[in-house]
Amino acid sequence: MGDKKKGFQLNEKQLGYLMVLPALILIFAITLWPVAQSFYNSMFDYRLNDPTRNQTTLSYQIDMERYADNYFFYERDIESLLSEVEGTEMEDRIAEIQTQIDEYHQQIVTSDNLAEQYAIVDEMVTNFEPVNDNDLRYGEISNNFSEEYTEILESATEDISEFQMATDDEELGEQLASAGNTIDQLDRALIRPNFIGLSNYGKYLTEGRTWDAMWNTIFFTVVSVFFELIIGLAVAIVINRAFIGRGAVRAAVLIPWAIPTAVSAMMWSYLYDGQFGIVAHYFHQLGLISDSSILLSTGSGAMFSVILADVWKTMPYMALLLLAGLQTISESLYEAAEVDGAGKFQQFLYITLPMLKSAILVALLFRTLDAFRVFDLIYVLTGGGPANSTESVSVYAYQVLFAQQNFGEGSVLSVIMFLSVAIISILFIKLIGSDLFEDKKGKS
Amino acid sequence: MRKKAGLPFYIFLSIFIFVTMFPFLWVFLTSIKPQGEIFGGYSWFTTDPTFQSYINAIETRPLFRYMWNSIAVSTLTTVIAISVASLSAYSITRLPIKFKGTILGIVLAAAMFPQIAIISPIFNLIQGLGLRNSYMGLVIPYITISLPLAIWILATFFKKIPFELEESAKLDGATPFQTFRKIIFPLAAPGVFTTAILVFIAAWNEYLFALTINSDDNWRTIPVGLSMYQSQYTIPWGDITAATVLVTIPIVVIVLIFQRRIVAGLTSGSVKE
Repeated sequence: MGDKKKGFQLNEKQLGYLMVLPALILIFAITLWPVAQSFYNSMFDYRLNDPTRNQTTLSYQIDMERYADNYFFYERDIESLLSEVEGTEMEDRIAEIQTQIDEYHQQIVTSDNLAEQYAIVDEMVTNFEPVNDNDLRYGEISNNFSEEYTEILESATEDISEFQMATDDEELGEQLASAGNTIDQLDRALIRPNFIGLSNYGKYLTEGRTWDAMWNTIFFTVVSVFFELIIGLAVAIVINRAFIGRGAVRAAVLIPWAIPTAVSAMMWSYLYDGQFGIVAHYFHQLGLISDSSILLSTGSGAMFSVILADVWKTMPYMALLLLAGLQTISESLYEAAEVDGAGKFQQFLYITLPMLKSAILVALLFRTLDAFRVFDLIYVLTGGGPANSTESVSVYAYQVLFAQQNFGEGSVLSVIMFLSVAIISILFIKLIGSDLFEDKKGKS
Repeated sequence: MRKKAGLPFYIFLSIFIFVTMFPFLWVFLTSIKPQGEIFGGYSWFTTDPTFQSYINAIETRPLFRYMWNSIAVSTLTTVIAISVASLSAYSITRLPIKFKGTILGIVLAAAMFPQIAIISPIFNLIQGLGLRNSYMGLVIPYITISLPLAIWILATFFKKIPFELEESAKLDGATPFQTFRKIIFPLAAPGVFTTAILVFIAAWNEYLFALTINSDDNWRTIPVGLSMYQSQYTIPWGDITAATVLVTIPIVVIVLIFQRRIVAGLTSGSVKE
């Protein structure tokens, strides 16, 4: 390597920072930043399916496409209305409306920041081209101006609808309705700020369904992780010995873990089916349940079914982690205990458990967080039903976000999930201590 | 506890394996039954095995398309996650940088993030990029799941490689990057491979992002596609069981071939040696 090239060599430290950088940027961009955005969105009245609220905005905005499109119809409607009402008592008011709207409209189309944008959009609208570029479509307008303008538009709509009520003339009524409608459309093109502070939180924190979902999630997490731990530990202890057929056991343990949760949920929904399900049938035959449809059609039956399916899928994984921990415990400890006359149970209590403590805590941490955010199992197996009795917070959040398309309110539930998970992690990491990282750091 | 394995032990073992395997067994037995038997009676074995359900499963839904989508998305995710993660895991375990604890903390925190907390901004991002119903539309959000997982497991494997190797390479005049590429990476290859399998399975199994982002039937992945087999009025259990068998086969093959590696990878993060 020539001397010239050596000048460009990074030293170890610089190279090290350079190597972690891509991962940190990615984690920041697609994990941390979206969480911050969820926080932000949760403070807005933000609905995807409502064109006046389908983005978050702190100040007034104008939807140019809608405005330009409707202004064209408005001009036509008001002109013909004006000629119709000539000589009646409505004339003054209609003329006043026209002057007012015209005054504000001129301010928009001649203003420094919007004039050019308006001209482009107006041209596109005239040619029936859709305006897909959001920077072009939405413009900023000052709050004072918009408040005055929307007030004028609103009172104009109101007055015209009063005129419409009062008149007996059918043709005039129709013209009034049409003009009132276009003015109302102009008003809607002015997008109001949809920042609403913490009122979404107020709504969801006082709502029964949120707390029911939280209770379901906690109940599901605690019960299924508890059984996974107990059964997993028992299985690990029993199979921690030399025997023929280890490979078969390993495969039997890994396959439920490896298949997608959604696929196992589909399998269990067949096994639990009230009419054709074999598990439901056998449980009924054994007298465990009074009717084979109970498993999926009653609240407690459905919760039991979800937990059983989860234990089936993840208990083997737990057993595997604990088995690996058991295998690191030295044989001599047990031999010494035997010599001292300790019984099997005492050996378990005083050797196995303390030696396994960190493996158990780490397994519990990962499993608890995994169970807490449960979505696919419940969504596919019960859909959260019957009557929301198995709905977890994740499932509820999904329903609000995507079925109702309400990103503002749904984000409240996202934030609640995030905070709950943060609290659980902090508690566990306090218990485990920082040695979770220590063994990975290497030499520094 | 090097106990002898007696007869009671093997009985326990058989029951254990039977219970964990029973759902698969039953689903398989159902998938080869003729329609009439599926919806009448609970007999275990059919006397008249048929592949009709398999034919229906493939004809009513684009099952192979789902499989192909899953393979493409999972492979792309694995390649990206492993290449980015191996750099950072190497740096964290073997180079003299500061803030290692903080970086690992961020990685672990990212691994624990509930997907539901980020789904709406991610949805907006993918929508804005025009990537809904495409492979990259899923690969980007899958980075949040796979990257922390890959860094976490790779760090354990890199840690196990003796440090003397690097020191002698340094003495021989190799640059740090050469050391990484020519010495550490080949030695860590088995660990990298193990991590790749785990990342692949994690991406293969993901449901929430796949459900919301790729909503077009042609772009659905296996878990989402399979969960859509139920129609509004009837549940075609024959088709569903046959489809389940078909989509489970690739995973079973991977598990059977790589079981030792998978176990090593799964337990590496939780057990200290």
